[in-house]
Amino acid sequence: MPISRRALTTLVGLAALLAAGCRGDGAERGAARALPIAPARPRPVFSLTATDGTEFAFHERTRGRLTLLFFGYASCPDVCPVHLANIAAALDRLPPLDRERIDVVFVTTDPERDTPERIRGWLDAFDSTFVGLRGAAADVAAIQMGLGLRPAVAEPSEDGAWYAVAHAAQVLVVTPDDSVRALYPAGVRQRTWAADLPQLLEVR
Amino acid sequence: MTPLSEVQWWCVADGEPWSGAWRGYPGVWLFVGLLAATLAWLHRREGGGGPAARRRADGRERRRLAASTGAVLLLWLTLDWPVGPLGTGYLASVHALQFLSLACVVPMLLLAGVGGRATDAVARRPMVNAVVFALTVAATHVPAVVDALMATQGGAMAIDLAWLASGLLFWWPVVRGSPAPRWSAPPARMLYVFAGTQPHLLIAVWLLVGEFPHYAIYELAPRALPLGALLDQQLAGAVMLVGMLPIVFGTISVLYFRWARSAAVAER
Repeated sequence: MPISRRALTTLVGLAALLAAGCRGDGAERGAARALPIAPARPRPVFSLTATDGTEFAFHERTRGRLTLLFFGYASCPDVCPVHLANIAAALDRLPPLDRERIDVVFVTTDPERDTPERIRGWLDAFDSTFVGLRGAAADVAAIQMGLGLRPAVAEPSEDGAWYAVAHAAQVLVVTPDDSVRALYPAGVRQRTWAADLPQLLEVR
Repeated sequence: MTPLSEVQWWCVADGEPWSGAWRGYPGVWLFVGLLAATLAWLHRREGGGGPAARRRADGRERRRLAASTGAVLLLWLTLDWPVGPLGTGYLASVHALQFLSLACVVPMLLLAGVGGRATDAVARRPMVNAVVFALTVAATHVPAVVDALMATQGGAMAIDLAWLASGLLFWWPVVRGSPAPRWSAPPARMLYVFAGTQPHLLIAVWLLVGEFPHYAIYELAPRALPLGALLDQQLAGAVMLVGMLPIVFGTISVLYFRWARSAAVAER
């Protein structure tokens, strides 16, 4: 049966649509992957205040465990909630024994607005086991710089009524051998976390 | 004044946080306005004939006018703020609502609203129309395609217009008839509607049972609602599944009852 011109035109159009979405390197639009840190750095040593008011010595409390360390703020409109939501969703899929071996530590880069109560309430929306830490802006900036991250900078709105906080959007991964081995930038999808976390647990 | 090159003509997934503030999309207004003007011209053209013909046609013409008006209003609501940007860049569930509107309801209303002789060429081979519809729906749900196209105004518009155009093709033989052999038999049309919409159901199930969000556009978008990306996707699948049912079975019911009524009239 000869193909009509209309059908042929439609098929060409559909092929163009599909070609627009297909890329030879298989990259997903907007999706990001882990960036290895080489050479690996040692697990950082710092102490900040947890949301329950107690001191949290990061090195001692997370030693030997897979730790995801993230610097952000609760008023963040985009990167922070997406990052934490995707991590939480991936953690939910892990077997309980694996899940128990992972810590997610959030450090606020906006101590002025992020009170302990606000941090706790915000983190609980993702996962109540996420640790929230707070400290003086200068201390947090020093920790970030020690990890090779740019310190956060407040960016006021045009009317001055509000400010955003420009901050490093990467999640640092500290593996059970106490080494900072990878950065996960903004845009990492749930399926990537779900695939990588079990492997990261085995790095010793 | 904003330069033309910086005006957002059509809704696009721009990755910006959802603010809830109204935003205008002149491209949408232009498109809907052109459609409304075209329909108005068609209705005026069909209003010819003598007074008696006009009196007979009044009831039918009122129904057609209502259908055309409904089509234009629904199209505008579907493409413009807030449904347009929400569906394009934030929520898969809203995009599913847009799909039902653009691919099914608006085309049916448009076709029901335009009188005059059917354009036989468009409906000569209903099976080709159905295949084109299915392929378009499938192609515009491929994650790589969606993620690539929704990030640009042209791409997002292409998806919207592809749904509208393929929907018009698919529903044309149903609403306006076809010269194809055996098409006059209502069972053929009922089967066409049922079979032609099965691909949508498959896509709906795929959205419902996916282990991870399929579309990076929606997974990585700033949340407009306190709704997780996977739950939003499952909601999209449910919208497609539940939304298609009344459209499909409603249409089949209308065809069936018209068939039953004409058979009863023929018997008398």
